[in-house]
Amino acid sequence: MDTAAPARTERPRARLVTPTTALRGAEIAAGATLAILFFQEFLQFSLFDPNLWLAYGPIFLGGLGGTIRFILLVIPISVILGFFLGWARISLHRVLVWPVTMFVDFFRGMPPLVLVIFAFLFGDDLIPQAIKDRLLAGIPLRVVSVTAAALAIAFHSAAYQAEIFRAGFQSVPMGQLEAAQALGMKPWQAMRWVVLPQTFRLSLPPLGNELAVVIKDTSLLAAVAGGEIVSRSQNFAGTLSISGYPVEWLFAIWTAVAISYFAATFTVTRLLLVLERRFHTPGLEAVSI
Amino acid sequence: MIRVEGIHKYFGTLHVLRGISLDVEKGEAVVVIGPSGSGKSTLLRCINLLVEPDEGRVFLEGTQVNRADIRREWVRQQVGMVFQSFNLFTHLTALQNVMLGLTQVKGISKDVAATKARQLLARVGLAAKEHAYPAQLSGGQQQRVAIARALAMDPKAMLFDEPTSALDPEYIREVLDVMTALAREGMTMIVVTHEMGFASSVASRILFMDTGMIIEEGTPDKIFHHPEHERTRSFVDKILR
Repeated sequence: MDTAAPARTERPRARLVTPTTALRGAEIAAGATLAILFFQEFLQFSLFDPNLWLAYGPIFLGGLGGTIRFILLVIPISVILGFFLGWARISLHRVLVWPVTMFVDFFRGMPPLVLVIFAFLFGDDLIPQAIKDRLLAGIPLRVVSVTAAALAIAFHSAAYQAEIFRAGFQSVPMGQLEAAQALGMKPWQAMRWVVLPQTFRLSLPPLGNELAVVIKDTSLLAAVAGGEIVSRSQNFAGTLSISGYPVEWLFAIWTAVAISYFAATFTVTRLLLVLERRFHTPGLEAVSI
Repeated sequence: MIRVEGIHKYFGTLHVLRGISLDVEKGEAVVVIGPSGSGKSTLLRCINLLVEPDEGRVFLEGTQVNRADIRREWVRQQVGMVFQSFNLFTHLTALQNVMLGLTQVKGISKDVAATKARQLLARVGLAAKEHAYPAQLSGGQQQRVAIARALAMDPKAMLFDEPTSALDPEYIREVLDVMTALAREGMTMIVVTHEMGFASSVASRILFMDTGMIIEEGTPDKIFHHPEHERTRSFVDKILR
């Protein structure tokens, strides 16, 4: 059934590490090493102090785990929701276009921080009692509220992604659909085999951008003590002097947090770049931002 | 083969087709000429029902096809179409473009479809280009792939909507050659074109359309050299210069 398959195997495989990325990685590593040496010399930098990691290590790992879990929750939900919202916005059914446009306008117009706070405080009230009784029985209110806050971030990003996918759909010329119809394809076949593959390719570069944004936005969950890396590190940092730890650790703690976010966004944008190369088609290049 | 009876089409308040009737025999090649906006493209699109006529009837081999109980997809499988702007599927190679209708619409296995697609690409002289994407082909090559893609469905008739109008002059010949060969093999064709050489040598009949009506029809010799109507004469003068 899959006509695209034979040629796929013939395409050169895009590699995660190419000579240029290796070179760039080496540059980054060299620069970072120099910077760390500099700070260690002048600010008694303590990123490699074993005592720091004895105390902060478990907290760091717990926070990193929390952040990764939020990322794994928010990215799939926002991409799937954004895709269908974007599709609905170009659909011919007026009934769909209206509520979707309102959703997109609302979530785009809200600062994600405000959404996080609102969802944390009142998200729980939006869930019908019947669902609470049946599905959420035994789950602490805190967990429900923090999850609602994470979903708010997902919805915010979905609104942006809806626009990315809408633009992707609209970049496929009408003639493509017409040619598919002229061959005798049903509307869903034309969508599946002609429109979607092109939308997908055209949407990848801006999607990578937006995913980097949404990964960083999970840090806003610190506002409701979401248990991700920022809030946990904040808690630890606030008790440094009380616990008798050196205050110089502050710099190391926040450097570790910064590096974590960089690693997460870098990984995801790289993965998308691999997809982009894998599905690269002459004549279907979208402008990468 | 193809019969059209009194079709009308409105786009909003614009009356694009005003009662067109047409009968095309099996194996006939009919050329449609006329100024832009005269409704030529809309007429073609009404035949494979990419555009639904507002009034009138369209028949394919004696069966009225613009009826609610006839599937539009079935009608379009019977009648191939070639577009002015080629409309090759951008994300697929030449071979995959020709195969897609076979595998998805006709449900033919990939191997059989690939073999057939290769034969068709060879027939339009593009066997060597099967792995090229549309963006890597010249306009003439793209249009020939588009013809192969339409032929893959084994259509009973072919519609050509200004197939050479978007081509650079040096590529027009190769596309017309493929079309001429097709006509000689007995394919039923309706061709909107202003290529007078092609029309004179291939067309059994020429229709002159203006303002949504067929003004005059006849042999190439009659339309080009002895037109009866003033509008035909002035249009033919313009394109023959």
